[in-house]
Amino acid sequence: MSKKLEEEFVKQLEENQNIVHKICRLYTNDQDAHNDLFQEVTIQLWRAYPKFRGDSKFSTWMYRVALNTAITLYRKSTRRVKTQDYDSVQFKIADRPEDDEQMEQLTLLYGAVKQLNDIEKALVFLYLEDKNYREIAETMGISEVNARVKMNRIKTKLTNIINP
Amino acid sequence: MDQLDILKQNWQSQTGNAPQFSKEQLGGLLARKSSSIVKWLFIIAIIEFALFIVLGIISHFTNEENNTIEMIGEPFYYGSMIVHYVVILFFIFLFYKNYKSISTSQPTRSLMNKILKTRRTMKWYIWYNLVYMMVVGMIGAVIIIPNDPRISEMLDSPNFIGHETAFYATFLGLTFVIFLILCVVMYLIYMVIYGILLRKLKRNYNELKRMEV
Repeated sequence: MSKKLEEEFVKQLEENQNIVHKICRLYTNDQDAHNDLFQEVTIQLWRAYPKFRGDSKFSTWMYRVALNTAITLYRKSTRRVKTQDYDSVQFKIADRPEDDEQMEQLTLLYGAVKQLNDIEKALVFLYLEDKNYREIAETMGISEVNARVKMNRIKTKLTNIINP
Repeated sequence: MDQLDILKQNWQSQTGNAPQFSKEQLGGLLARKSSSIVKWLFIIAIIEFALFIVLGIISHFTNEENNTIEMIGEPFYYGSMIVHYVVILFFIFLFYKNYKSISTSQPTRSLMNKILKTRRTMKWYIWYNLVYMMVVGMIGAVIIIPNDPRISEMLDSPNFIGHETAFYATFLGLTFVIFLILCVVMYLIYMVIYGILLRKLKRNYNELKRMEV
């Protein structure tokens, strides 16, 4: 593969690397595992890149490859997140809200999302990324109706995790 | 649930602990080796293909020394060998086709499906080899018994007269049991290797399938 293609790829990856980081945070519980998954996603993206024709946005294509790697190709099973792994369930944001209570709520909810199974996490991730149900369904390979139904069930499940 | 929408509002501004990678670091990652299950599936498949091909070649050479070809007859010996290698080539073609169809850019469910299909091809390959060995082994044994001078000599000895049928039955029965044990052992090895490799994938595949019901 040519140098030019590699440069072009690295540039796009650098601009969009946050997507991969968000997925890695969701699917792993420590920094080593995070970097390990990030590396695997990068390799898979690079491998699939020559076939990426640009008929969809780079980021959209990236969701698919990165989620597929996390859910399907990555071998190591994620250790179940325990509540004492505070760091891995803490939701960190750049512009912290004034309201401490809201921050606490965000962390609580993020911790609940991390307790979901791999598939549920993928749906929630796409939902949080503001994808519509058609895109969610297409990425996962399920019907739109089922994506909607499942998403509603996940919301109930999350509520139950937070308020047992 | 409105709470999830609160998370959504703040989702894009999350930072996490991970440092952002520079272009140089990202470029370095590209040169690393993948450790994905697809790569392992490929390695195992190569070992499986090689194992049975080597087994075939070894049995070919040991048979030559024992004049098996003479006893069994050239048409059957070479006929079965040609059919065997044609079938193996067909399996290699099938595997290659499945392997090539595995692409990370497709929807999750079809990706999982393709991976499981590739694994099924290898399962059939193993079964084919075991059944082939068993059938050819049994037919070979039936043809060899009347032609093998050592066996006819033994059957002609006073101890064996009148017990020919019992001898045939025991001989074929033993061959069958040995192959059966071999099949069970192979099946167990197979279950362990693929079980470890595909446990997570299967769990996620079933989860997706459940949604569609």
